[in-house]
Amino acid sequence: MTLPPFLRAAMGPLRIMMQDRLAVIGMCVLGVIIAMALFAPLLSTHDPRHINEIEDGSVLSRGAAGWELQESLGPLALNDAVHQDGISLIVGRGGMGWSREGAGAWSALDLPTGADLHAVALSPEGRAIAVGDGGVILLQDGANWQPVPAPEVNLRGVVWLDADSALMVGTNEDILLLDASSGELSAIDSPVGRDFPLQSVALDVDGTALIVGERGLAIRYDPEDGTAALEQLGSSRDLNHIHIDASGAALVVGERGTLLRRESADSAWSADPAPDTRALRAGWIGDDGSALAAGRNGLIMEWDGSEWAIAQTESERHLRALLVVGDEMLALGSDRFVTRLAPPSREHWFGTDHLGRDLFSQNVHGSQIALLVGFLGATLVVLIGTNVGLIAGYYRGRTETILMRTVDVMYGIPFEPFALILVLLFQPSLTIVILAVSLLTWRTVARLIRSQVLSLRERPFVKAARVAGASDLRIMYLHIFPNVLPLVFLELAIIVGVSIIAEATLSFLGLGPPQAISWGGILHDARLSGAWRTAWWWNLPPGIFIMTTVLSVFFISRSLEVVANPRLRARQ
Amino acid sequence: MTRKTILAGTSILALGAVAMPAVAQERVPSVEIFTTTESYDPIRYEGAFIIAEAWEELGVDVSVRPMEFSTLLDRFYSEQDFDATILGWSGRVDRLDPQFFLGTLDSRQAELGANNPGGYDNPDYDALYDAQGAEFDIDARQQIVQEMQDLYVPDAPVVVLFNRDEVVAYNNTTFENMNAMAGEALYSEWVPMEAQPLGERATLRIGGPQEPDNVNPLASTSVWGWKWMRLYYDRLVRLSPDVEPVPWAASSVDPVDDVTIDVTLREGMTFHDGEPLTAEDIVFTFNYYMDSDYNYFDSYLAAIDSVEQTGDLSVRFNLSEPSAPFATITLSQIPILPQHLWEGIENPGDLTPDEIPTVGSGPFVFDRYDRGEFMSITTNPDHFHADEIAVDAVEFLIYADAEGVFTALQTGQIDMTAWRLEPGQIPLAEENEELTVVSVPDFGYYHMTFNTRREPFDDRAVRRALSMAMDRERMVNVLLDGRGEVGTSIIAPVNAFWHNAFVERFDYDLDAARAELEEAGYSWDDDGRLQR
Amino acid sequence: MTRRGYLIKRVLQAIFSLWIIATILFFLFRMGLPDPTAALVTEGLNAEQRAAVRAQFGLEEPLWRQYVLFLTNAVQGEFGTSFSYRAPVSEIVWERLANTMILMLAAIVLAYAIGVPLGAWLSWRRGSRTDTAGIFFGLMFRSAPMFWTGMIAILIFGVGLSLFPTSGMRTLPYDADGFFDKIFTLDFLWHAALPVLIVALYYLGSPLLIMRNTMLEVYGEDFIEMARAKGLPERDILYKHAARNALLPVVTQLAVTIGLAAGGQVVVEVVFSWPGLGREILNAVRTSDFPLAQASFLIMAAFVITLNLLVDILYTTLDPRVSFR
Repeated sequence: MTLPPFLRAAMGPLRIMMQDRLAVIGMCVLGVIIAMALFAPLLSTHDPRHINEIEDGSVLSRGAAGWELQESLGPLALNDAVHQDGISLIVGRGGMGWSREGAGAWSALDLPTGADLHAVALSPEGRAIAVGDGGVILLQDGANWQPVPAPEVNLRGVVWLDADSALMVGTNEDILLLDASSGELSAIDSPVGRDFPLQSVALDVDGTALIVGERGLAIRYDPEDGTAALEQLGSSRDLNHIHIDASGAALVVGERGTLLRRESADSAWSADPAPDTRALRAGWIGDDGSALAAGRNGLIMEWDGSEWAIAQTESERHLRALLVVGDEMLALGSDRFVTRLAPPSREHWFGTDHLGRDLFSQNVHGSQIALLVGFLGATLVVLIGTNVGLIAGYYRGRTETILMRTVDVMYGIPFEPFALILVLLFQPSLTIVILAVSLLTWRTVARLIRSQVLSLRERPFVKAARVAGASDLRIMYLHIFPNVLPLVFLELAIIVGVSIIAEATLSFLGLGPPQAISWGGILHDARLSGAWRTAWWWNLPPGIFIMTTVLSVFFISRSLEVVANPRLRARQ
Repeated sequence: MTRKTILAGTSILALGAVAMPAVAQERVPSVEIFTTTESYDPIRYEGAFIIAEAWEELGVDVSVRPMEFSTLLDRFYSEQDFDATILGWSGRVDRLDPQFFLGTLDSRQAELGANNPGGYDNPDYDALYDAQGAEFDIDARQQIVQEMQDLYVPDAPVVVLFNRDEVVAYNNTTFENMNAMAGEALYSEWVPMEAQPLGERATLRIGGPQEPDNVNPLASTSVWGWKWMRLYYDRLVRLSPDVEPVPWAASSVDPVDDVTIDVTLREGMTFHDGEPLTAEDIVFTFNYYMDSDYNYFDSYLAAIDSVEQTGDLSVRFNLSEPSAPFATITLSQIPILPQHLWEGIENPGDLTPDEIPTVGSGPFVFDRYDRGEFMSITTNPDHFHADEIAVDAVEFLIYADAEGVFTALQTGQIDMTAWRLEPGQIPLAEENEELTVVSVPDFGYYHMTFNTRREPFDDRAVRRALSMAMDRERMVNVLLDGRGEVGTSIIAPVNAFWHNAFVERFDYDLDAARAELEEAGYSWDDDGRLQR
Repeated sequence: MTRRGYLIKRVLQAIFSLWIIATILFFLFRMGLPDPTAALVTEGLNAEQRAAVRAQFGLEEPLWRQYVLFLTNAVQGEFGTSFSYRAPVSEIVWERLANTMILMLAAIVLAYAIGVPLGAWLSWRRGSRTDTAGIFFGLMFRSAPMFWTGMIAILIFGVGLSLFPTSGMRTLPYDADGFFDKIFTLDFLWHAALPVLIVALYYLGSPLLIMRNTMLEVYGEDFIEMARAKGLPERDILYKHAARNALLPVVTQLAVTIGLAAGGQVVVEVVFSWPGLGREILNAVRTSDFPLAQASFLIMAAFVITLNLLVDILYTTLDPRVSFR
């Protein structure tokens, strides 16, 4: 079998390269990384920019060491819970409900709705009512739950006023009174009437009901005369939940760590200073003065009689309800929470970052920019450098002086600061990054090629070509160029490595193209977030990727050096 | 296809073309959202993309352009060349008075370079703005301020994205009684005066990534310069931790009438070089500031007509018009300079660092400032407040970035942070037994301002609809980790007295946004793009 | 060409390069950077007041006058007042440059002090596993971005083991009587240890590999064969004869490296909070501080050019084989 001459010419160097173990390793690794870049969308398990969130029926229980995560109750968030005489009920999103007797296991309820349920209440006789979005009202009838026809209002809170009537509140300042025996609903006029959302309602010890809602709204409904009147609790914050103990102690919680407490039925409401300003969603107060409040990001506060303290919780979940049964204390949630800073798992092979984005997918996608900038930048550099070197070396004279003076000027410009300035002055984009990488690097190539050409142009074969009347271009590109080709390839390989590092550096300084995913950018995010010292899964992979990619290129370049420099070959 | 059908086709097209002008609708022009780079502020950067995603869904062509901060400011303020921009106002104590923030929507501040680049123009609002500035009765002024909020919010010229909590931390094994202040967190003027050392070392060490631009009271234009300088310069009035004005270098401030205010100085005060502080220094200071090229305090000084000495320790301020914020802001912000050191200096703005007199009369004495590294002040034993101060010196260590600050806090090199922790550092600080994390709400705010001179933002309905298409709750929950609140008004809820809790809210609701647009005559073409 | 003529020519060339760089720099900045007074808006200054500041900094002048002013000032070493610091630029820049140079020179010296003998030794053990491992590690540190190795080093030695400080140049506050007092203290060395190590590891690869490869070439030369034939101990051959002759390419590389050292390693300065010039440029450009950014860059470039020039001249003195081109 005969090979075309150019292939045969290529085989020689290739054979030399194949003898170098490190070069072979380098080529394999680079191959893998190129494949990774090409098939990034296929390989990545997630959209690298997608913020991963989980919804979960989370239960936290207060133990000796703090609040501990219990077995999850399904994939849907839990919104409210109630307990009375040994029976506990939980309702949640998507028409989910759970019940248990005593301290037994939770069993799922079969509820005739798919709507989100927001509140549940038990009557003095133990009859349950659950309300939710889209005017869903479910009344317990023995083991069954009967829907009550209602207008399409989004209900947020419910309470039994007596064995037969329940009061519910909704997001358009709706206040509805249900006669449970007849199923008849009547709307109560709100004293405000500006469609402010009402969030929660509780029965006070005097038989009236206290409703709380957004913007510090508090409305007292008196069943005696059927009227609702405005009340001042001393806050204009959004109030999310109210709990009134049989002793008359009461707690209202709301946005921004709002805690309004009443020690007894006769005492005034007072705002407690909160140790955290995140949203509180549920409160509970007992007759012994103990109290709890739970809210966003696993926030639980406990009242120790003199001040509120943040309790240790082992979870970031959003808590929406508190359930206290004797000594047992449960906090329930959790609507969609971001799986931030999760260590590597089956779902996220390289873990997640501070916004819950999948790091494996980011790393895989990062290879694209690295290789793109690496190869494109290097090609550009070699293209400019080789031509400048060729022309300067071949023509000599004034052309050479001008070109080489330009190279000298280039040598006076420090690389990193210049790249910074270039990217900072113009909008960061892929083009600018490649330009910044290549604009200065060609100087080395130009010098090297020129000195080679200087010696080559005096060789007999060049002189012969000139005598034969070959044009300058022809001599330069057909006679001289092939002889500097090994050097060109060597430089190409080295500059690919340099470019990849340069791109990573710019991205690390936050000067990479916006929204582009690159290895340097991942490290930039990690450092910026402040989480890099603990999240090793965030820190290590991008660095290792950069290192192995550049290393493999360098290994290849080493064997190219042997090809380009026969003297070296002889000594090996 | 036969020729006939082709012809039929063209005639239908032609008919369509004829009929079109009556209902001709053009696509709404594409818009650009300007925001900061990720390195400058990852929150505003990611926030822009969250907004853009929702706007896309609404059928608006939108792109996000992150820019270096100075470029962003330039495009926004100096050139007003933007569609919609995400920026912020920091909550400095003197901005607790509503004057400044309300002014950002005053149409007379809409010229190039001024504070209302969005160009919101509402004559009723402007009239009320003037009225509140001249209203001395605080309850009446509150009424007007709240009315102004009700007036502008439904027009949606600016959307307050969120008020971000200031989360800082201190080392609870070295100092106690560290009380955070709204808008200032721990690096307030009170913390160094109130902090109680727990160990041998009575030197409070503060660490931060920012440093003063300079410590020249006639050149510094940064918060970081003044936050430091106010520790060694006295003012006539200081704002208490509850942001109430309390007489400081003044023993009393007595309004004679709407435009005349008498101030009496405390007796026996001296400057750090031993010279006595008298009414002459006060008159000199105010006149010096009013005559200088230094513009930083101009808005505070604008109301002053003249300052006259009425005794050794008494001064009278004559105002050109009634000014509600005079006692709270002007008197609490202007530092008292020693006349004997400054009177000979003609161009105080040009002083080199070595030439700047750093002599004040405050509770601390300037010690040294090594650029980029370190600053320190020592307690002034002769100050009238010295008995209340437990620390013997305050040092400020300057780090390259928030990372350096946090590492220093962890390793005990500093006692408290001057600047907020990054979200990723907060859980680490909370886990650390020795550190106490303090979170205070901010009354500064991050906003998206629409350019109301440009299509499509010249249309109130579009602004309202796009405001409804911003999932700000998600921004707070995901980007801020819940540490902040969805914005409602340019006067923040934490500024409870002036805040109007009942302004219209734009909850995230794409259906409502679509309804708003439809009502204003917009529709969607076959590609789902918004048109009108 | 005479030696004297060559020197004059090189100096003129250097000045020419500097002028070109200064010109590019000036126009690049005016093109790309917005009005530096924009940042003052957030501090509450109105348009009129900002115009006053602009005038104060000469930004209202026509562009060509600004350029001429910039050049004449630069020639006199007068770089104006930093916009954000309100302090003379030169004062800030020289100190920062010194900090950068200390870091870089220490690292480069360390890298060559270790790399050269190690390279020689590896060449001796050529083909062995030690050789391969040496090449591997040398190239590995060259391939790993310094900001990453730096972060890992901070994590392990700074935060984890608490052996070294993680930022800055010294424990603050410090009092120093002059430059040398600032540097030759244990505290300074302690602070410099990690950053110097990281930069040195990065630079290690090149002297190591160059030394190794040249040594391999030298082994083939006749005088080595002769030394062997004379029965000299291998050790002596390696260090006395071969190494001495292989040094030239390493020295060349050293010269180039030192020449570019003034450019610094911005990322290392950022990661270790090192108050160097690179970081200053980054900040200056971010805050639109023209005078500071321009001066920093120009002085940096001047330093690079001067170093190149010095190295060139030194080189022609040391090695007469290099002709005066």
